[in-house]
Amino acid sequence: MFDRDEDVLDRVIDQLRQPVEMDPTLDTAVMTRVAAGGERLGRLAAVWDWAWRPREISVSPLAGLGLAAAVVGIVVWLAGRNPQVASPAAGPNTVQFVVVAPGAASVSLVGDFNDWDGGATPMQAAKSGALWSVTVPLTPGRYRYAFLVNGSRWLADPAAPRVQDDYDAPSSVVTVGG
Amino acid sequence: MHCSRWLAMLPLAGALLILRPSTAAAQDPRLERRLDPATLESVTATIDSARLQGLPVEALVQRALEGAAKHAAPAQIAAAVRRLAMELATARQALGSVSSPMELEAAAGALRAGVRPADLTRLRHRRTQSLTVALATLADLVASGVPPDSAAAAVIALAASAGDDQMADFRRAVERDIALGAPPAVAAAVRVDAALRQTPGASSRRP
Repeated sequence: MFDRDEDVLDRVIDQLRQPVEMDPTLDTAVMTRVAAGGERLGRLAAVWDWAWRPREISVSPLAGLGLAAAVVGIVVWLAGRNPQVASPAAGPNTVQFVVVAPGAASVSLVGDFNDWDGGATPMQAAKSGALWSVTVPLTPGRYRYAFLVNGSRWLADPAAPRVQDDYDAPSSVVTVGG
Repeated sequence: MHCSRWLAMLPLAGALLILRPSTAAAQDPRLERRLDPATLESVTATIDSARLQGLPVEALVQRALEGAAKHAAPAQIAAAVRRLAMELATARQALGSVSSPMELEAAAGALRAGVRPADLTRLRHRRTQSLTVALATLADLVASGVPPDSAAAAVIALAASAGDDQMADFRRAVERDIALGAPPAVAAAVRVDAALRQTPGASSRRP
């Protein structure tokens, strides 16, 4: 039994000792691939070296000033494009305005919050017709305003502080905290 | 060589082109619609100047629109906008360059009411939080009849310890007392002492 095992082993060794036939083009193909990879790596290394190599650049004072102005201009332009972002605390508060104007056909609330547009914020009359009111959202700030009665008569808010007026017509002021 | 010099000018020209719209933006379409050309030119010049100084310009636009709505004379509108611009500049000088647009507008209102710039500076030093409501309180007290010096002393006394809500409560209390017949200066003095006694940690010493 031991002899049989040795025979098998000898046969395996003989088999392994047989020369293996390889494709004759294999060497060439491998060397071609290696050369191509090296070329790619070489190009990348060259680009990397170029990017990091310090060099002197000559710029005239005027051109330098122009470049600096261009950078500042771009920054200013970008800053100007961004709308001012209101913080959550600066959200609108609802403010009710009320005025007594018996016999009025129309009453409008006009002020800093609606570009002093007489048609922008009409007030609603109560059933009695004397009490007019409107509710508007206002962000924190201080606003001048007045009531415009029948499209021609300016009326200050008797329930709010009055402000010194530049135009000989009464105005009031409301402060909305933020 | 000449060509390269011209090329060097290109970034400068580009920068000028980029900066140009900020000047043109001074022509506010709201004003263009509501003001005659001469008034528009005068008001726009004032607004441009204010913008260059870093002052808030929306209040100036609104003051001009108010004049237009009230059918004020062109010269009156231009003068009102110039006056407000000067008040905003004085307010910024008194409160410092860190002041917000809301603070400056409220301070301009206080100055218009008769408060001295030095009192605005004292208020800034006494109060760490936003001054908007404190300044509005100050202006409103003066509008209610409290002499400017008394109103300033009261608000400065409260400035370090009172929050915005307490400041508004104080103003309402003074106005109520005045409506009931109290002399304005006395009403302010009594109410500020009461407020200081109620505020924990507040010094009752008046500045």
